[in-house]
Amino acid sequence: MENFTNETIDTTQLPKFEEVIFTPLHSKYFTVVVINLVIIIAILILVPTVFSFFRPELFAGRLWLIIGAILPVVFIWITTFSILGYKRKGFAFREHDVLYKSGVIATNTIVIPYNRVQHVALHEGLISRYLGLAKVEIFTAGGSSSDLEIPGIDKEQAEKIKQLLMGKIQKQL
Amino acid sequence: MSTDFSLPQRQSVVGIWVLFFYSLQRYARAFWPIILIYAFRFNQINKVYVALSLITLFTVIIIISYLKYLNFTFALDSENKEFIINEGIINKTKTAIQLNKIQQVNINQSFIQRLIGVYELNVDTAGSNKKEGAIKAISHELALELKSRLLENEFKVINVDNEIISSEADNTYVDVAESFIKISFLSLLKVGITSNYGRSIALLLLFFSTIYENFLKFGDEDNVYKEKFGNYIDQNLVLQSILLFIFWLIFIVLIVNIFRTIFKYFNYSIKQQKGSLLLSFGLISTKSTILKPEKVQIVVSSRNFFQKKMEILELKIKQATSGEKEQRGSAIDIPGCSEAEGEAILSLLFKKIPTKGLMLTPNWRKLIFSIFLTIGLPLFAFIAIGTYLNSSIFEYIFVVPVYIVCVGLIQYFEFINNRLFINDDFIIKQSGAWDLKKEIIEPSKIQAVSTSQLFWHKKLNIGSIILHTAGGDIAFQLGDYIVLKQYINKWLYEIETSDSNWM
Repeated sequence: MENFTNETIDTTQLPKFEEVIFTPLHSKYFTVVVINLVIIIAILILVPTVFSFFRPELFAGRLWLIIGAILPVVFIWITTFSILGYKRKGFAFREHDVLYKSGVIATNTIVIPYNRVQHVALHEGLISRYLGLAKVEIFTAGGSSSDLEIPGIDKEQAEKIKQLLMGKIQKQL
Repeated sequence: MSTDFSLPQRQSVVGIWVLFFYSLQRYARAFWPIILIYAFRFNQINKVYVALSLITLFTVIIIISYLKYLNFTFALDSENKEFIINEGIINKTKTAIQLNKIQQVNINQSFIQRLIGVYELNVDTAGSNKKEGAIKAISHELALELKSRLLENEFKVINVDNEIISSEADNTYVDVAESFIKISFLSLLKVGITSNYGRSIALLLLFFSTIYENFLKFGDEDNVYKEKFGNYIDQNLVLQSILLFIFWLIFIVLIVNIFRTIFKYFNYSIKQQKGSLLLSFGLISTKSTILKPEKVQIVVSSRNFFQKKMEILELKIKQATSGEKEQRGSAIDIPGCSEAEGEAILSLLFKKIPTKGLMLTPNWRKLIFSIFLTIGLPLFAFIAIGTYLNSSIFEYIFVVPVYIVCVGLIQYFEFINNRLFINDDFIIKQSGAWDLKKEIIEPSKIQAVSTSQLFWHKKLNIGSIILHTAGGDIAFQLGDYIVLKQYINKWLYEIETSDSNWM
C-alpha cells in the first residue's frame, strides 16, 4: 500500500494516438491490390462483351455509347482509389494497443487496447498465400463494427504478431 | 429437500399439456386465415368431416407432445460445469451451456402455463444469438432451485477469478429481496399515452392489411362486400371523413398503446437481490429477469415532451451481446419510472449517479448535411421524376412545403439536442428530436475506439468518433477533434492501465 499514489494525470502529457507513426503495408501487397484491380476491370469489360455476343439485339447503338463513356470513368475511379487506399493504410502496435488507419476521403483510425481483444486469427487469401502474405484479424466483444483486419503482412511477421497478441491476452487472464 | 440435478430430469408431467397447447397455438397461428374462412362457411361443410379431422389432429399433436416430453431432459454436469439439455424426437439435439457463460436465468409464466400451474425457465448466455436453453414446463420450486444452482455456481466462479468483485459482492450479499421500485398503474397509463406511437401504428397496419388481404383472397360472397366497400369510400371521400379518420386513428392508436403497455408491463416490480436486480412484470404472462450491474454496458434514458411534463422517464438497459441483430431484443425496458426512481436504479447500476460534465456540440455542418440528405435528395428525386418520367406527380406539389417544414424542424431539433457530455466516470450522448435520448456508458466499458475525419475537415478541426462497447456503439459526429482526441488518449490510458473488467 505504501507504493500507492494517485496523483492527477496531466492529460496533455499522455501518449497521443494521433502522433503514432504507422507502418505501411508490405510492398508485395501492392501486387495483390493490382491483381484484384485487373480482375475487376476484366470482369467489367468481359460481361458486356459476352452479352453483346449472345444477345446483340439488346445493345442498340446508344447503350454502347453509355457503357463506353461510363466504364473508363469507373476504371479511373477505382484504380485511383485502390492505389491511394493502399498507400493510406497503415498499422501500429503500441505497448498496450493496436492501431489501424485507412481511408482515402476520410481518415479512419481504430484503436483496440490489448486487454479488450477476445481472439486473434490469421487469414490467407489465394493471391496473398502465393506471395507469402497473411491478414491478421483481431476480434473484440464489441461486435463486427469494432473488429480489425490488417491485410498485407509478411507471413512470418503475422505469425509473430499473433503470438505477441496471444501473449498479451494470456497475461490479462 | 434439494433435487439431484446431476441426473437427467424430465419436465413436470402436466407439462405435456403445455407442449400440447403450444403446438396447437403454433398451428392455429400458421393457418388462421383458413380457419377463419371455414368458420364463416361452417354451415356448408360436412360436420362429421370437421369433427373427425379435428380429433385426428388433436391426437397427433398429443402424441407428438408426449414424445417431446419423453425426449426432453435437462441435467447439471458439475464435473464439466455445464448445463445440459437433451431434446428432439427424431433429430436429437444436445445443448451444453457452460455455467460461467450464463448471463441470465429467467423464470416466466405465460397464460397457458399459469392455467396449468407450471413455469418456464430460460437460460440466456453471452455468446449466442438466441435464448439457448429453455425448459417449457417446470414446477416453481424446482425452477427456483435450478435457477439458484445455475447462478450460484457463477458467483463462485467470479469469486475465484476476481477478489475485488467478491469483496464487493460480500458487502451487498445481504439478501434484500424487498421490492424497492414498483411502477404504478397510473405511471403505466402515462407511458401508454405518451410513447411508442410508431410501434402501435405498425401493429395496426399489419393487422388491417392481413385482414383485408384475406378478405380479398378467399370467398366469393366477399366480393360483393368489397364492391360495396369501394363505393362507400368513393362517395365519402371528403375532408370531413378524412379528419374523422385521423381522429379515430389517433384514438385507436392511443387505446392500443395503453392496452399494450398495461399487458406487457403490468405490476412491474424491481427487487434488489445479492447485488443484482430482479425484475418481474406482465399481466397475462409474467416475465422475470435478473440483471447484473457488472454486465450492463449501456443505459439509455429517454423521455419526450409529454413525459417530461408528467415527470416520468423510460430506461433501457443494454447488456453484453455478441450479435448485433438481437441487441434491440436483449435490452431490458423499464418504462415510466419517476425521476427519483430512475436515479435510484442508475446509482445501483453505476454505484453513483451519472452527471454531465464537459459538453461537446456538433459543428453546424452536421445540420447542413442531414438537411441535404433528408430534404435535398428527396426533393431532387421528386423534381427529376416529375420532369423526366411522370409529370402527374406535380399534382402533389402541395406536399412539398409541408414536408420541408416538418422534416426541417425534426432535423433542427435533432441537431440542437445532439450533445456529448464527458466527465471522469461517464460519457453521456444525448440525441433525438422528439424523444430525448441519453445514452450513458462508463469509459471502462469501451472495447475499441474509431475516429474518422474527412480530409477537408482537417483545417476546421472537426471529426467523428465511435465508441464500441459490447452492448452497441455510441457515435458522435463532427465535434471538436482536438478535444475528442485528448479524451480518447485519456480513456485509452485508463483502460490500459487498469484491469477493470468490462463484464
